[in-house]
Amino acid sequence: MIPRRAFAALLAAGLTLPAAPGHAQESPGGVSFAPVRPGRRLSFPTDHGAHPDFRTEWWYVTGWLQADGQPIGFQITFFRIRTAADPRNPSAFSPRQVIFAHAAISDPRVGRLLHAQRIARAGFGLAEAKVGDMDLVLDDWRLRRTANGVLRAQAGGEEFALNLTLEPTQPVLLQGQQGFSRKGPGADQASYYYSLPHLKVSGALVREGRRRPVTGEAWLDQEWSSTLLDARAVGWDWAGINLDDGAALTAFQVRDGQGQAVWAGGSLRAADGGLTTFGPGDVRFATRRQWRSPRTAALYPIARDIQVRTPQGARIWRLEPLFDDQELDSRPVGPVYWEGAVRTEGGRGYLELTGYDAPLAL
Amino acid sequence: MPTGPTPPAPPLLISDLAKSVPGGRLLFSDLALQLAPGEIVAVMGESGVGKSTLLNLVAGLDRPDAGRIEIDGVDLAALDDDARTGLRRDRIGFVFQAFHILPHLTLAQNVALPLILARRRETEALIEANAMLDRVGLTGRGADFPAQVSGGEMQRIALARALVHRPALVLADEPTGNLDPQTADVILSLLCERLRASRAAAVIVTHSERAAAAADRVLILTSRGLVAHEH
Amino acid sequence: MVIGEWRAQPGRTLAAVLAIAVGVGLGLAIHLVNRSALDEFAGAVRSVSGAADLQVQAASSAGFDEGLYPILARLEGVAVASPVVELRALTDDGVALTLLGLDPLRAASVTPNLLGRPAAGDGGGTAAEAVFDLDAVTLSPAALQQTGLRVGDPIRLSAAGQSATLRVAGVLEGISGDRALGVIDIAAAQWRFGQLGRLQRLDLRLTAGADRGAVERAVQSKLPAEAALVTPQSEMRRTESLSRAYRVNLQMLALVALLTGGFLVYSAQTLSVTRRRPQFALLRVLGLPARGMLSQVLIEGVVLGVAGAALGVALGVGLAELALRLLGGDLGGGYFRGGRPPLAFTPVAMAVIFSLGVAISVLGSLFPALQAERIPAAVALKTGSGETPDAAGQPPPWISLTLLAAGGLAALAPPLGGVPLFGYGAIALILAGGVGAMPWLARGLLSPLRRLNAPPPLALAIARLWGAPRQAAVALCGIVASTSLMVAMAVMVTSFRGSVEDWLIQILPADIYMRLEPGLALDPAAQARLAAAPEAAAVEFRQSFSLRLHPDRPPVQVSARGGPGTSAGEGLPLVGAQATGEGLPVWISEPMARLYDLRPGDSLDLPIASEMQEGLFVAGVWRDYSNQFGALVMDQSAYTTLTGDPGRAEAAIVLRPGLEPASAIAALRARLPDSLAPGADFAEPREIRAVALRIFDRSFAVTYALEAIAILVGLAGVATTFSAQTLARRKEFGMLRHVGVRRGQIMQMLAAEGALLGAIGALAGLTLGGVMSQVLIHVVNPQSFNWTMETRLPWPLLASLAAALVATSAGAAVLAGRGALADSAVRAVREDW
Repeated sequence: MIPRRAFAALLAAGLTLPAAPGHAQESPGGVSFAPVRPGRRLSFPTDHGAHPDFRTEWWYVTGWLQADGQPIGFQITFFRIRTAADPRNPSAFSPRQVIFAHAAISDPRVGRLLHAQRIARAGFGLAEAKVGDMDLVLDDWRLRRTANGVLRAQAGGEEFALNLTLEPTQPVLLQGQQGFSRKGPGADQASYYYSLPHLKVSGALVREGRRRPVTGEAWLDQEWSSTLLDARAVGWDWAGINLDDGAALTAFQVRDGQGQAVWAGGSLRAADGGLTTFGPGDVRFATRRQWRSPRTAALYPIARDIQVRTPQGARIWRLEPLFDDQELDSRPVGPVYWEGAVRTEGGRGYLELTGYDAPLAL
Repeated sequence: MPTGPTPPAPPLLISDLAKSVPGGRLLFSDLALQLAPGEIVAVMGESGVGKSTLLNLVAGLDRPDAGRIEIDGVDLAALDDDARTGLRRDRIGFVFQAFHILPHLTLAQNVALPLILARRRETEALIEANAMLDRVGLTGRGADFPAQVSGGEMQRIALARALVHRPALVLADEPTGNLDPQTADVILSLLCERLRASRAAAVIVTHSERAAAAADRVLILTSRGLVAHEH
Repeated sequence: MVIGEWRAQPGRTLAAVLAIAVGVGLGLAIHLVNRSALDEFAGAVRSVSGAADLQVQAASSAGFDEGLYPILARLEGVAVASPVVELRALTDDGVALTLLGLDPLRAASVTPNLLGRPAAGDGGGTAAEAVFDLDAVTLSPAALQQTGLRVGDPIRLSAAGQSATLRVAGVLEGISGDRALGVIDIAAAQWRFGQLGRLQRLDLRLTAGADRGAVERAVQSKLPAEAALVTPQSEMRRTESLSRAYRVNLQMLALVALLTGGFLVYSAQTLSVTRRRPQFALLRVLGLPARGMLSQVLIEGVVLGVAGAALGVALGVGLAELALRLLGGDLGGGYFRGGRPPLAFTPVAMAVIFSLGVAISVLGSLFPALQAERIPAAVALKTGSGETPDAAGQPPPWISLTLLAAGGLAALAPPLGGVPLFGYGAIALILAGGVGAMPWLARGLLSPLRRLNAPPPLALAIARLWGAPRQAAVALCGIVASTSLMVAMAVMVTSFRGSVEDWLIQILPADIYMRLEPGLALDPAAQARLAAAPEAAAVEFRQSFSLRLHPDRPPVQVSARGGPGTSAGEGLPLVGAQATGEGLPVWISEPMARLYDLRPGDSLDLPIASEMQEGLFVAGVWRDYSNQFGALVMDQSAYTTLTGDPGRAEAAIVLRPGLEPASAIAALRARLPDSLAPGADFAEPREIRAVALRIFDRSFAVTYALEAIAILVGLAGVATTFSAQTLARRKEFGMLRHVGVRRGQIMQMLAAEGALLGAIGALAGLTLGGVMSQVLIHVVNPQSFNWTMETRLPWPLLASLAAALVATSAGAAVLAGRGALADSAVRAVREDW
């Protein structure tokens, strides 16, 4: 899903991409980024691995866990960012690639997010995004695909640690046109994007020194791109929902300053594998309830109705948050956004709301 | 200095002497006194009448308002301070009530002080000082320090110092004032004995009748001058 | 009654109070300045090493292999490892700064204060951009100020022989003070300044709750020879050892001032007790117990001490502030670069020094108090005399002799914790013994004079001094103390300076010395070209670098010297015998020999060029004043063999006879490669010597100032004591006037007394000072600084000191005499007329 997440991550780390808008494909330092073009066939497991020629790439795992019979939301995300660092610099420290990772859990009994993050320039085996298959290392954090196709994720910080096994139960879901996903009105505003919904989760959650076995269901997005958002964009909304019948719903919209959608998209894959891909006119986010953050005074539309147009007719999913305060406040180094576990009748997933505290600076 | 065949001048000759205190009160006027060589005069009088001032005037340490003081025929008024100091050094001996013996000098050195000041050779001066100590009853004590002697012995030393350079005139101010009566008697008779032995005239200012009794003449100082004491 | 007494003697009371104040003030000032400087220095160290829990540092500026970074980063207990390239860099304008190459992403969680914030709104740049901008340098405020640059300006930096033009992208707001620091990206640092594959430092943050000792051991086991583990504690220790010896020296000098104050309190109280003998006697007769006298005098001592110490604390804070402003944190010692640190307040130290001042005052009052207690009431009342007989109540001479002997023994003892405490103890004992022996010394010196047939005033003066040596001692103790200490310091400093001067001539025999900027080097071709210069009769190339041999000690300076046919040992000012042995010979400096306990013939391993080089041996020890922490010299060939580095950054050039150095330098510079010529610094030994001696004099300037203050306090003590003693002798003068002593003769007598006393004091001071200087030279200096020197006497200084002392004493006596003789002789003896 969406380059905007990459921005969130970069801003959270106090970073932005080195190149200014308008020079998206090539930086002044002579670094050229691979373009995203339609028609490329994604092949696996190679495309589970990193694509270092592209500017940004992320592996985004979100899901619901059952711990001691209680629902807990979680997310583990790895970003890879290619910088404009001079490619002639032979130093092993040359920051050609930066790896950033973020993890959070949403526990209703805590009532707010617990989060942790890591960042490093790639190198020395301490921070790597492997080419050829999914294998991400960032100090003691890890996300990798094992030989039998099962994913293993390991992340955490001072407040919690996650050690999870994610087992695919469905084939890869190619978003957009066979994995080519448009993000804006400009032809180059696009990414390669696939999802792995309905991952069966088992493992452990460590909290306050106590290790608890957990089970649950998760969703993986992998997306890579070299382009930027449209100039008018101030934020975006995204949702990925594992439906209980085995279907998977993806919906996103890029908003302008007036809250109007600059672009929208998504997909609905039925349990039988039948895939409907949504264009800009097929997806609408409606707001039922807003919540004002006591920390930032930002007003988030946390209860949404997602309306999509399918060949079978219009459908609506009423999303309700696991709890209200799932705002991620990473100030002063990063932005403020809402990233939370949501449920709907017949399904559970994640909703991401960015650009509500302040427009995301580009 | 008078020399030659002329008859020796009196050791002390005072005529028409007048003195006021700095505040203006007249102490005395028309005071006259003449001492013969070897004569001992006791001066008595009430406190504040000017006995000490009279001694100071005679010693050349204070200036009279009027009148004339001659010592051995020398008019004090004609001398400057250094010359008066020289005159004191050569012709006058002093005995103080509080002895004024220098603690850091030996007894012999204390006694020899006037001789040394007169630039006599030190060895010679010390021999004479020791001889003088013999005469005041402190035989063999010349190398001692003042810290080791009693009050009576202090005044013996003072006597020795006053006489060692054979002065014409000895001025003594309450020489027994700090001594017990017995010691005072001994010191007094020693003083008179030594004065007579060296034929020095003396003016002894005292409150003590016993001291006065040892003198040849006893005078009472009043604002009208010196008058003879009537026994 | 006490107040009345002090009011009657304002000068003496004031002098005693001031003396204590000066002692306390100096002690406190030195302490505060050092504390402030150390805090600042430690702060600087902390800000450069960040909040790292552990630090691995390279043994030399060549660094260590970067492969150590992932190894340590993955160790159990290490949360984050932040790799650092650390270089000394110069701008084109010659501003020197420490250039750190950091990975900001790592540093952010280990040393966040080393990350800058760019000036907001400047050219649209953001912090984030600066982070990965390999052309960006973030400067500390001091570096910005020294370079005169602003954010956005280009800056050309040279380091390790390479130059790069960068852009000032922001300010390191976390770096306070005068620390000139620049931070660039580690990749840029490695690439632009020839450090590919090398790191100079690794800052480690431990995981919460990790067993520190275990982690240290684990780190230690992974370290190559060219890297060493440094904890913030050991860094502090090193910082402290840097200036500790110098600080202890100054601190001791301040205590000396305090001691002088103690002696002055003794003088003042003794005189005051003497003066009040009748008064005390009266009180005794009226029923005050003897103990009452004792406590009264002691209470006076406390009051004097409290007044003096309070004044001294104020003075000390003021002095410290002033000194920090004028001289910087090391009081001119040259140990801390830059830095006018803010004043650090240390209440505990203040309290300690304050109490010390009071204690010294009470101690100074103890003898007079005991004296007051023993006053025989009857005698004192009866005589009514102020003068005390002298012989009684005198401590026997064996006490002084014992003290002197104990001092001699203490001088033989080894240092305690690197500080020559016993040496200072020896000085204190010798001082106490010497001052205690003053009465005997005075008598002994005056005895022959008594036999002279001197004119009466002189004879009287001699007689008085001989007869009352204790009074002389009372007057002199303060000045003897301060004079002897000044003489000791002066002799030590002169010896030191002379030895340094000799050493400079010996160690710099060539006509011209050339040195390249840090990082630059002459390759063999450039060396050959320079050696072939027609102006040069002989050229010896050298290379130096620093090498850390012990994590808790500053690095030693290693240099390669000597020519193709000559040994590096030739031309060194060797001390003692040379040794022969197997392997490569090295010559070590005296400080190194002492610090690392090495002797000629010992074998030695050095971590050079990534590995531990074994099989070196110490061929000789040479005298070195330039590096307190050790230096080592090896042959050119040995250096090249060990390091494989043919480059040389220094050259010693002997000119052909008759050549002008200035024109020769121009010609030699022209023969250097274009890239190196601007970075070459030529100096003549004359210049170097002048600079070295200037630095030397600067670092001792404060010492001189302290000495001068101690002397002034001592002289003030002499003057006030004299006037007190003289005023007390009014009756004596009155009697003498009666007996026929002229006023002028009394003045002559007093002048003679003063001059004689001054002479005795000078002689005692010179003798004691001479002895104490030997303790400083042969015990304190080797133990503090690890170097030796040869004694030289500053005759002009000593002579003028003695003359000043005699003149001041005589002058003080005459001045006091004028006052005493202003009263007429009549009044002087009147009290009992």
